[in-house]
Amino acid sequence: MKTPVKPALEESGDAMTRRRVLSWLSGFGLFGSLIITALSNLIFIKPRATYGQPNRFSIGKPEDFPPGARVSLDTRRVCIVRDGDKVAAISTTCTHLGCIISVSETGFSCPCHGSRYDQDGNVTGGPAPRALPWFQVSLAPNGEIEVDKDTEIEAGNYLRV
Amino acid sequence: MSNQTTTSPWKTLVALPENIWRSIFRNPLPSSDLGRASTSFTNFFLHLHPVKVHRNSLKATFTLGLGLISFFLFFILVVTGILLMFYYVPSTTQAYDRMLDLRGTVAFGIFLRNMHRWAAHGMVAAVFLHMCRVFLTGSYKPPREFNWVLGMLLLLVTLFMSFTGYLLPWDQLAFWAITVGTSIASYAPLVGKDVKFILLGDSTVGQEALLRFYVLHVAVLPAVLSLLVAIHFWRIRKDGGLSRPAEEDALPADAPAPVEVISGPAVVMATSAAAAAAAQPVLQKRQYGIQGLVRGPFTKVGNVPDRSVFAWPNLFMAELVVFLITVAGVLLVSLLFNAPLEEPVNVMHPPNPAKAPWYFLGLQEQVSYSAFWGGVGIPTIEVLLLLIVPYIDRKIVGVGRWFAQERLLANFLFLTFVIVNVILIIVGTFFRGPNWEFVSPW
Amino acid sequence: MSTRVTLAVVSFVVLIVHGIVFYDQFFNRWEKHQTAYFEQARSLAKTDAEKHALDERGPRIEQIIVTQFGESRVDRCATCHIASDDPRFQGHADPLRTHPYSAALGDVERNGHWERRHKFTDFGCTICHDGQGRGLETFYAHGEDAFWPDPMLGYVTQANWHAEFKAKLTGKEYMQANCAQCHTEDNFAGAPLVQRGRQLFFEKACYGCHRIEGLSNGTLGPDLSEVGKKFKVNYLWEHTVNPRSFQPTSFMPKFDLTDDEIKALTVFLKSRRGINFAETSLGQYRARLQHTKAEETSKTQSSTPSAVRGEQLISERSCTACHKLGDRDGHIAPDLSYEGLIRDEDWMMAHFREPKSRIPDSIMPVFGFAEADFHSISSYLKTRSTPASFKTGEEIYKNLCARCHGEKGDGKGVTYLYLDPAPRDLAKVAFMNSKPEDRFSQALKTGVSGTSMPPWERVLTEEQRRAVLTFVFQTFVKEPRPELKAHRVPEQNPVAFSGDSVHRGEQIFLQRCTGCHGRKADGKGPNSLDISPRPRNLRNSFFVNSVPDKRFFDSILYGVQGTAMPSWIDYGLTQNDVGDLINFVRSMNPQKVSPPSEKAPTLTSQVKQEVLCQGCK
Repeated sequence: MKTPVKPALEESGDAMTRRRVLSWLSGFGLFGSLIITALSNLIFIKPRATYGQPNRFSIGKPEDFPPGARVSLDTRRVCIVRDGDKVAAISTTCTHLGCIISVSETGFSCPCHGSRYDQDGNVTGGPAPRALPWFQVSLAPNGEIEVDKDTEIEAGNYLRV
Repeated sequence: MSNQTTTSPWKTLVALPENIWRSIFRNPLPSSDLGRASTSFTNFFLHLHPVKVHRNSLKATFTLGLGLISFFLFFILVVTGILLMFYYVPSTTQAYDRMLDLRGTVAFGIFLRNMHRWAAHGMVAAVFLHMCRVFLTGSYKPPREFNWVLGMLLLLVTLFMSFTGYLLPWDQLAFWAITVGTSIASYAPLVGKDVKFILLGDSTVGQEALLRFYVLHVAVLPAVLSLLVAIHFWRIRKDGGLSRPAEEDALPADAPAPVEVISGPAVVMATSAAAAAAAQPVLQKRQYGIQGLVRGPFTKVGNVPDRSVFAWPNLFMAELVVFLITVAGVLLVSLLFNAPLEEPVNVMHPPNPAKAPWYFLGLQEQVSYSAFWGGVGIPTIEVLLLLIVPYIDRKIVGVGRWFAQERLLANFLFLTFVIVNVILIIVGTFFRGPNWEFVSPW
Repeated sequence: MSTRVTLAVVSFVVLIVHGIVFYDQFFNRWEKHQTAYFEQARSLAKTDAEKHALDERGPRIEQIIVTQFGESRVDRCATCHIASDDPRFQGHADPLRTHPYSAALGDVERNGHWERRHKFTDFGCTICHDGQGRGLETFYAHGEDAFWPDPMLGYVTQANWHAEFKAKLTGKEYMQANCAQCHTEDNFAGAPLVQRGRQLFFEKACYGCHRIEGLSNGTLGPDLSEVGKKFKVNYLWEHTVNPRSFQPTSFMPKFDLTDDEIKALTVFLKSRRGINFAETSLGQYRARLQHTKAEETSKTQSSTPSAVRGEQLISERSCTACHKLGDRDGHIAPDLSYEGLIRDEDWMMAHFREPKSRIPDSIMPVFGFAEADFHSISSYLKTRSTPASFKTGEEIYKNLCARCHGEKGDGKGVTYLYLDPAPRDLAKVAFMNSKPEDRFSQALKTGVSGTSMPPWERVLTEEQRRAVLTFVFQTFVKEPRPELKAHRVPEQNPVAFSGDSVHRGEQIFLQRCTGCHGRKADGKGPNSLDISPRPRNLRNSFFVNSVPDKRFFDSILYGVQGTAMPSWIDYGLTQNDVGDLINFVRSMNPQKVSPPSEKAPTLTSQVKQEVLCQGCK
């Protein structure tokens, strides 16, 4: 700041334009950086790898689940249902408040607030607001069944094995 | 709103953005001196500054912007530090893994860590250089003695802050640097052992030490540092702005004498009721708003032609430039160099040589000659001497000029101290190999 | 205005760097690999559903979290190696390649489909391969970063490893070290190198010095139970090849090993990582209890000692990994071929129980064998009693002396590094020509007590001894012997042995001698490392007691030519001072411990204590 700042009125038009252009440039740089920073920070705090078990996992060969099996994998929070040569994975997280539901004779029931579901996960009683979601099941190239909890599919869609 | 009964809802709606804007920023972009003054006063961030600053304070060659750089580095450290806290776990089993994750999976993780690391090193250097600037321009002389003391405390806190952060990655570098560093502390007479034990929470560096250093690093020390910084800044204004040579204060020949409403610092401090009462009539006689243009430690009024300029936009522009240069520097360094991450901690296998962080290598070098004198005696004497310098060297000469002739002796002594320490650090960093034996870096 | 220009420029720099960092974040190598995989898999897909499923998948970090092996492992290898478990990608280029199926690993083929024995979802990758499971860049993930302690076994060599060993440190057989983490049984066929290494650990007598939990109890060298956790393969290899390459002060001998043997040892050592995954801590504790019990019973069990058993033991317990016996030679320790003529049974037994009790600076470890075994070995060694039949001095020297004193007589035979005191440099004229001839013939005849120089009295006839001595002087010393100046030194120490005298001697010793002989007079003073021959250990009682006062006076007052010992008379020591010194040295080596030729009691700890305390009084 070598020269004292002159009052604005005395400045010539040229200087004014130059100043204006420079201000715009700086403003562009500053706000651009600000926006990128904000975006980066949002991306930063969204984890790309989680520390729990992954949402996409394989559960073994189809032979491990004989026809008619209803196996609840509590650590994965999913129930593997085999009906003949059809396999599906139904969530065992209660749609009410997130308790783990257990397999019962008539389907599923929740120990927390008494929600009940039928064998396909449709609500038959209690406070549960929605049916249990079904997850995508696919046959991995190595011949094992793979469940992807990130992809929900329509109820009743089985995988033929 | 209630008294404007005539306004139609439509007009209210139209005026809404304007009203919201005006409620936040009370002044339009200023075009007059009054406007410039108001801008400073009515903005929370800007009102920390004086309305007018002396031209000398804006001279880049005088301040080198070192104080500001230190502060902005601290700001960057706070921001990046908080972000890193999202992924860091202060646990001996997880800390290192989290470092690997920052490098591998977390978006921008490595970059933020680089920024934090390099800004921390930069801050230690900037604070130290700032101290050198203040000394070599004689700026610690009355009335700025206490601010010098505050500055020294800030230097110590900064060092401690950097030191505590050094442990957190939990790699070999961290572990052994802290082992060495805390061992240096244990040489202090009487309390040394206790200090080390309290610092580590255990007899050796382990989980307890990691947790303690973490708490110190992310909570205790930043709070202390922020408080000290606030006081440091406040004192700059209360001590009459940055130092400058006496001749800079001389008024232009044709200037009318300034009207002093109150003389003496009594009212500025305004602690004694009597002083306040005495000042009362004067204040009542001629009423000035708080916007009375402030210069020096005393309130003065009148459009006095002096060598000061308005803070808006001159000072703010300068600060913005320094801020951006600092940010750009940190960004560039972080882009080019990755922060070191050595092997995971191996308690049984110290690297040879085990070195403290670079700013303590001077100390470590001294310790290699004498544990007590090098590690505790001499540093304590140095710090104490530096703390009391402004109370010994009270003659107000050579203030506000670099390497003033009148201060040859003081500057010479200080430079000797600086150069000796820098040489020790260089020797410790580059010339010491396994078993702390002398090696050539070439 | 200049401020505004700066502002504009700097803000643009900041914007650009922000842009670069931001842009950089979205182009990872692994994303490219995954996209390529999806494309190829799509073209291989048979059903529409499969194709549809592939379309849904976008690049993301794939990870396996393994919790059953110790602390939980996070392996993100499949992020790049995404096809590792997709059998359709066999023979493709890395990283999009199927992990090979191998019957050796237990994989089974059923109707054309392979099934893995070690499922990746259960085991992860790093448990076999090592490397950094969390890394997403090749450099870090494969452990090429020199700071990573576990580079991929057999695949990755780090930049700072010695170039000459790099080629030897690659090969998938190195992964056997990790097989042994779970397959701990000794005869596990899948890890032959580990087995061979374990065998070598005993064959090369490593067990004598090193402890490995559950295998051996040596205490002289470092415990190797967790050595595989601490060191990378390059260290293990190099340290085995040359123990001094990383630690110049290491006294571990260089063994005769082929590259294959070193590899086996390296793999075996790499497999020593403390707790094995296969064992629970309770199981381990039980095993240790059982082990100690078994040891005790085996120790108390005594078979009748016999020479036959002794011969068997010598090859079983690998004595010749260091010693020479007949045509087997470890090139490290003395020749035992004539042991029956050189040492008597008492000497041998005392030496077995505690080698340092006979040769105080011996590096031979204490082998905790059963007493009966020691008796067997000594009775076998007693049978080695045929005197040497070599005729000429040269022949004798080559066969008996050169192993320690060196072919050139320079004291640098194959074993010289491991003998303390070191073999005499016979080519050092200054020394050889300053000592009377009968000292050499005496040394040949009765040996030098407390050192590895044995008495040759019964091995060589007087004639043979004279021949070899002549050979030494003719071949190595060459120069004619000058007339020896007789120094005027007393035969007996004129200063009476008394507390006062010892105290005075100690004062002089502390002032003058500690630089080389050390504060403990053990010959390990701060300067000792740079001196050759090394300063005498003045606590070697066998040696000190075998030296007459006269020789002490001579050596101290007039120095020892060809060594670092100066002539102290030039530095103002009087005869009385030396007398005090001799009394001080003698006070540390009480006569109670008599020379080895006589029947000597073992140096019990109590005697040691006495010796030490007298030294300080």
